[in-house]
Amino acid sequence: MNRTPPALPEVLALLPTTAATQHLTRGVLTGQEDPPRVALQRASKPIGASAARWHTAPVRELVEEAMRRFADARTRADAWLAPRLHATLRMTRAEAADPELWNFMSLVVAPDYVVWRHTGAVTSTTSRPTAPADRFVGVAHKHAFARLWWAAEMFRDGEDYRSAEFACGNQDVLHTALRLNAIDHRPTALALLQVLANLAARKVSHLGDHVNALASEINIVRSTLMYDVIAPVEPPDTDAVLEWIAEAETAPPVPLNSLPDGPRDGRVPKTSVDALVKIFEKVHEESPHLRRRAATVDNAGAGVSLAKPGI
Amino acid sequence: MKTLMPYPTVVGDIDVTIEKVALDGRDLPYSMISRNERVVALHEVERAEWEEARIALRVSLPEREIEAGPWTDVVCVAILTEGATNARLARPLRKRTDGAWVGSVPVSRTLHRTRASLTVSVVGTVGGVAGRVIGAADAAWVIDLTARAPERKKELNIVEIDFAASDEEWLIKLKESPWLVDTSGEMPTVYLNTGFEGLAPLLNGARSEMEKSARGLVASQIAGDAWTAMFHAAVSDLEIGDDGTPQVPSGWRESVLRQMLPDVIPGASLADALLEVHERRTDGQGWSALQTYIHHAAAKRARIPKYVRTAVRALDRAEDSER
Amino acid sequence: MSELDSFGAWLERQLRRSRVSQAELAAALNMTRAGVSAWVNNRAMPRADKLRSIEEFFGLLPGAATSLQDAEKRAVQRIWYHRRAHPDGGREFGNAAAFAFEADLATLAREATQNSLDEGLDPTRPVRVRYTLHELSGDQLRTFKDHLQWDDLEPHLRAAARHRQKVARVLAEGLRELDETDSLLLLRIDDYNAAGLTGPEYDDGRFAAVVRRQLDSRKAEGRPAGGSFGLGKATLWANSRLGLVLMNSTLSEPYEGHHERRMIGRLDLPWRRVDGEPFAGPAWLGEPDETPGFRRVARSWWADEETARALHLERDSQEPGTSFLIVGAHDMSNEGEPGRPDLLAMHTKLVVALADNFWAAMTAGENRPPLLQASVAALRNGEVVIPEQRVEPSEYFPAHVRALKAYLDGVTVDRLTAVDQVALARVPLLVPPLRGTGDKAVEHRAVLLVTPADHGDRDPGKIVYMRGSRMTVMKRRPREVPLGTDPFQAILLAGYATGEEGPEVAAAEAFLRASEPPEHDRWDRTEELAVVYARGALTRPRTFRADVDAALREIVGRREVQAKGGPSVLRELLQLDTAVGARRGEGYPTVRHIEGAIDDTGAWRVHIELRIPRRDDPWLLAPVAWFHGQEGGKATITWAELAAVENCEIDGENVRVSPGVGSASFAGITEVSSHLVPAGWARLAVDVRRARGART
Repeated sequence: MNRTPPALPEVLALLPTTAATQHLTRGVLTGQEDPPRVALQRASKPIGASAARWHTAPVRELVEEAMRRFADARTRADAWLAPRLHATLRMTRAEAADPELWNFMSLVVAPDYVVWRHTGAVTSTTSRPTAPADRFVGVAHKHAFARLWWAAEMFRDGEDYRSAEFACGNQDVLHTALRLNAIDHRPTALALLQVLANLAARKVSHLGDHVNALASEINIVRSTLMYDVIAPVEPPDTDAVLEWIAEAETAPPVPLNSLPDGPRDGRVPKTSVDALVKIFEKVHEESPHLRRRAATVDNAGAGVSLAKPGI
Repeated sequence: MKTLMPYPTVVGDIDVTIEKVALDGRDLPYSMISRNERVVALHEVERAEWEEARIALRVSLPEREIEAGPWTDVVCVAILTEGATNARLARPLRKRTDGAWVGSVPVSRTLHRTRASLTVSVVGTVGGVAGRVIGAADAAWVIDLTARAPERKKELNIVEIDFAASDEEWLIKLKESPWLVDTSGEMPTVYLNTGFEGLAPLLNGARSEMEKSARGLVASQIAGDAWTAMFHAAVSDLEIGDDGTPQVPSGWRESVLRQMLPDVIPGASLADALLEVHERRTDGQGWSALQTYIHHAAAKRARIPKYVRTAVRALDRAEDSER
Repeated sequence: MSELDSFGAWLERQLRRSRVSQAELAAALNMTRAGVSAWVNNRAMPRADKLRSIEEFFGLLPGAATSLQDAEKRAVQRIWYHRRAHPDGGREFGNAAAFAFEADLATLAREATQNSLDEGLDPTRPVRVRYTLHELSGDQLRTFKDHLQWDDLEPHLRAAARHRQKVARVLAEGLRELDETDSLLLLRIDDYNAAGLTGPEYDDGRFAAVVRRQLDSRKAEGRPAGGSFGLGKATLWANSRLGLVLMNSTLSEPYEGHHERRMIGRLDLPWRRVDGEPFAGPAWLGEPDETPGFRRVARSWWADEETARALHLERDSQEPGTSFLIVGAHDMSNEGEPGRPDLLAMHTKLVVALADNFWAAMTAGENRPPLLQASVAALRNGEVVIPEQRVEPSEYFPAHVRALKAYLDGVTVDRLTAVDQVALARVPLLVPPLRGTGDKAVEHRAVLLVTPADHGDRDPGKIVYMRGSRMTVMKRRPREVPLGTDPFQAILLAGYATGEEGPEVAAAEAFLRASEPPEHDRWDRTEELAVVYARGALTRPRTFRADVDAALREIVGRREVQAKGGPSVLRELLQLDTAVGARRGEGYPTVRHIEGAIDDTGAWRVHIELRIPRRDDPWLLAPVAWFHGQEGGKATITWAELAAVENCEIDGENVRVSPGVGSASFAGITEVSSHLVPAGWARLAVDVRRARGART
């Protein structure tokens, strides 16, 4: 898996989805063959002004380091890679919303990582396992790289990536919460993580179920409560983001063992997060659905659910 | 579907008026704001490189109803969102002495990409619970960062291009096709191959009756292909809800399904029809039988029966005059 | 002692009133004409015995000549003068001018107020008009009738009411109601800062135009008049069931040395025979004229305050203007209950009509008073029923008023960038020269104002064309405005309506008036244009309108957008939203209505009504409920209990609807343990699906 494809282009480019899908053959999905790098580059459009942030080498290094570090536990690569990818591929949300950029990342820059990270378990003897196509070309919360970048973006607290790291350490958060529109409100995103952290601290069972239930609860309650009014937050400081992006020209590579710094575009007020944590915990605890389940578990015999600690 | 809220909500009209829009401090011509369509167009060719647009808005609430109602601490907020960038910005409005709620919402170029949505909600305390949504403006405004004219997008992209001379490699490979339908983008696109001899002149400038009838036949054929392709694209990307049933998608996919499903599965509600199609497609049973109906629905939208009839009559007349 | 209060003035007045020359008086008093002239010119005073002789000669009370003022009081003896029938036997069964109008308060308000505006006095201050509805009954009515000399009047009214013509029927109805209900509605229209009914009793002048003549429009040259006292005044009589209007005018220019309380009444009846004697139609209430040739004709009199009050015509101040009292006022379209005029409805109608027709004249700038102020009040036997309400134009025409105000304040813009802004464009009107003068055409620069329409504005998307005292001539939808253009309001000010001065303004005003038909409702080719103006005048109004439309499009039009991609034949086959929202006849059951509440256990208890397409087989439906999140998120809920209410039965989890029915309803209680969150935190959604398979 560590073959290095020849002629990695120096800078990122934009790969149209139609062209990308064309080359998404079964061979590519299984990792048996490399996508045709030359043809893909020819189908790609330049990304505009050249800048250090669009260089492929730093991203490539990160990806390789991730595959090396987490060879035995690839899901754990997410929490490590997300903040570092975000701090390396510095861009505005408007830029990150372009799927063509991510197509290029997955098909030209690091198809090996996509296969490594997302190839499913062997399910039959006749066919090789594949990575799902939407990890190469797909919506932001599915795409192998886009989901990491966006998770870091949505769950960071200003320059502090710790919350994002925590979020990416839980596959259910990445899977369920990232696609929830409610977390576009930053205090809601952080409050969701806080509630999870509190649950984890109490070592509740089936944390994943709690994540999913919590995400649904937050979305349902949002039809009657305006979180934006309960938990106000300043709009992000876009100048700070642009400054941080400009610093990419001179910034050293991101640290591999400690967290990098994100853009200083404003922290979320603790009071706002606390206000929502209180509501989310109350709703979650009062959930008749959850109580019923708790009751079933109790009836089945205490302690059974604690048999699987340390999720 | 009908819904109930667990507390009283405001019934009266909540009207939103965009008072003006400034790009980096300079006012946009008011003709770039359409109140009919609720669209603001932000793209001016002369000023493509702006950083922030500021939208000044004014909201009128049914004041008497709110005064008399069970709500307290009533506030009005404007909310700007864009799905593609996960952007969400809530701006509280302030109440003017004349009762109108006013404020402004910034649209940052870094946070928005193509189309943002601006909504207004009324929030208050009801039954001791603060922050309740008690009302919302009927419809959202669209803030279109890429449009020069304030119009809602209602049609597919139609691109006329010489496939052989295209920058897009995949089109070059398909240069022998007179047209192609691509449903992978944000909006479906029909590519017309100008390199296909005679196609463009026929579609754009038919003169004689025979030419016109041929034009109609070709156009309806292309449209039929497009509707079929769009239907398949729309039913293949369905999100499955918690209850295991497919959710109605948004955007063009919703339009396509709403227009075609009643002809594909007659006599069923949208939800029932969607579930039916989804199940047949996933378990394969009856999926091929359904193709006939999908084809029928697409042909109907593309008005193929009408154009075929016109063409046949034109032929008849041509023959008559030759005799 | 002022000139007017002098003995000389008094004497001159008596001479004039009695149509006696100085020489005749001198002869009667046995003295020289020069002596009388000396008195008249205040060069000498008569001795006491001469004073008495003078009083006797004029038939005045003793002392009148010394107190001067008392003389009139006594002198006034009022009579009803009914015009004799025409000697040729001709009979007229109604006033043709009044026939042009229905009894309609809106028309009345328009015509009467336009007249007041046209007669405005001091242009730096607004003309004020006030409409007062006053219902009289009982004693108050009786007193009023006495002052009206009802007993002299009544036989004529009764006689005229016997005809079968329209006027007579209205009159008969009016008398019947007066008899049955013993109540009478008066409508008084006051104007202030207006000229008043000046001029001589019978010769040319404002007074004669209103009181003595029909269709005398008295269009003074060069005045920005609309068409004052022409047809319009006939609406006053048209709105009286009895054909009776009383007047009290304060004159801007004295007549017979008097300003205040020139009063007269005029009655318009059809031909009639009373006590065997035929009468032509009109009658006047006034002082018997003693002038030879006019003997016994009722002429206006100078009333005292008491009389004015008794006839409900007292005025607020000495400011010039006229009060008209329409006796037996009515409105064909707004009768209310028989016998009880609907004061509120009539009040509203007047306010709305004033706003409709005069919002422009009532609009003020920061430093510019309005041309007009109007108010409406309603009373019953002197008690206020609806207090005087000033008509605020901005309440009715917010966008129009904003546009005009911006113009008056000079805060218009060239290009609209905000919703409250007003754009101004100048549209040239080339006024052709008069025929045969050889002059050159002059250019008038008319003003086009455009502003985005307000929420709830009535009838947007038109241009209001005005001239004169901001009088609306027409409202037109401009041509070729692109589809999808946002609603706007536009005003075109031409001629005097621009508020500007100059020969070209006057020329434009005259030209446009000449291009109006008698209805004054458009600018187009007229015979007058052809006759009066040089060649080319006939097409000028049309060219002007086209230029106005073009200027408007320039302001409201969007920048030309590039033709959208693709051949149009294909584009129209690919419209995405044509059917969205367009309901087809739904061939399946739907939820028509739900209501419900959360009970003590936290469950929703709901009542659900279904709309059912009729068919001969039963429908088997699965009611589904869920908590409805944002962006389509749902959390399914199960039912603890379902109960049939109407046209259906419950079959397990399903509802079986009886064949052939159009609606059905059932009740449901949700299963609390299936709630993802407590019910109070969520929006509940309910729908019905086709029942599927054999689930238990």
